Amino acid sequence: MEWLRGVFTNPAVLSAIKVTFQMAFASTLISAVLGVTFGLWLQNHEFAGKKVVVRINRTLMGVPPVVIGLLVYMLTMRGGPLGPLVLLFTVKGMVLAQVLIITPIISGMVFSYAESAVPAIRAFAKTMGADKKQTDRLIISELRNEIYFCIITGFGRAISEVGSVMLVGGNIKGHTRTMTTMISLLKSQGIYSEGIGLGVLLLVMAFILQTLGDYVRKEQIRDENY
Amino acid sequence: MRITELRKKIGKTDLYVEDLNIESGMIHGLVGPNGCGKTMLLKIIMGIVEPDSGTIDYEGLKPSEITMMSQRPYLMHANVYDNIIYPLKIRGEKTDPAEINGLLERAGLLGIKDQYAGSLSSGERQKLSFIRAIVFRPKMILMDETLSNLDSDSEKLFREMVMERHREDGSTWLIVSHQWDEMNELFDKVHHMEKGRIV
Repeated sequence: MEWLRGVFTNPAVLSAIKVTFQMAFASTLISAVLGVTFGLWLQNHEFAGKKVVVRINRTLMGVPPVVIGLLVYMLTMRGGPLGPLVLLFTVKGMVLAQVLIITPIISGMVFSYAESAVPAIRAFAKTMGADKKQTDRLIISELRNEIYFCIITGFGRAISEVGSVMLVGGNIKGHTRTMTTMISLLKSQGIYSEGIGLGVLLLVMAFILQTLGDYVRKEQIRDENY
Repeated sequence: MRITELRKKIGKTDLYVEDLNIESGMIHGLVGPNGCGKTMLLKIIMGIVEPDSGTIDYEGLKPSEITMMSQRPYLMHANVYDNIIYPLKIRGEKTDPAEINGLLERAGLLGIKDQYAGSLSSGERQKLSFIRAIVFRPKMILMDETLSNLDSDSEKLFREMVMERHREDGSTWLIVSHQWDEMNELFDKVHHMEKGRIV
């Protein structure tokens, strides 16, 4: 209890919590918009090389975050093509790296769900006389649980990320230090108990968010459409 | 509606309809064994599947005036009532709860109208699909063995409902059946299908 009180009065920890959630929410939001749109677009369009695009997307789903971190570092360093934007060692730079990691995960999952469910939804919409806009709206509404799951998976990845965040953010105290990079630092200093405590706190916060999300979404019974 | 020189090959199904006239205001039967291409023909008429070649003259019928009931109907992630009013909602038409409740009562679905549609039995799903298809009064209704999972009493009731609706609004029906049964009493005209051909 004493430790917990200490955590919430320590400005360094509070700053890490704030940066973690700022970065996770911003990167998940951007990735959700990009990933859901691209996943659904990919399902609905036939073109030469589509299989290759799907394969590349699947490969990027498993790309090591540290590789993306290195790439973003090189892009945003002073002499890099994005250097003038001054993104290195900022939360914005960390968000950019996270977006590159999470977007393929969300788009790949959305594409996979859409491949099995959307043809039936489109056929149904046609039998009901729905126009294109109404059909698109119906698809999103019918896939809302799956889309929610994809976004939650992306958020889970964002909140737990260390490698790329460390490289791009630089783990600067009170500025770009997140809960995970702080845990990593505590470990290197041999302060294990506080590291575990922060880890548990991170899990509890993620659990509370999931519970809130489930409450808002309303659980639905599994159906037999597909 | 006139279908001419229509061809479609998917897997083992090799569909070829040389000339099929579906006169409006009649109840047509499309009878044939399993796998002869009946469902494929309905899907092509509905616009769900593109034919390889051939023409369909809809004679002024708009796509939104045709509907199709599948053997395994798709149900939205919503309750029974919301599923039924969906075609009215997208047309911006006012829903008449009394009329809808009346249809639900006849179909035996009134007691479960607030139930999540995904939890229905296959028979109840077919009943829902039937009500949903007729509620917006389409001019042409394609039925793909929609009543096959119903018990004999329910099937009889739905046959009566087909007749009533047909008499009321003069709608055109194309009803698929794989065997010669009581359903065939409804038909004004029967088209036999075998190995992808109308015979």
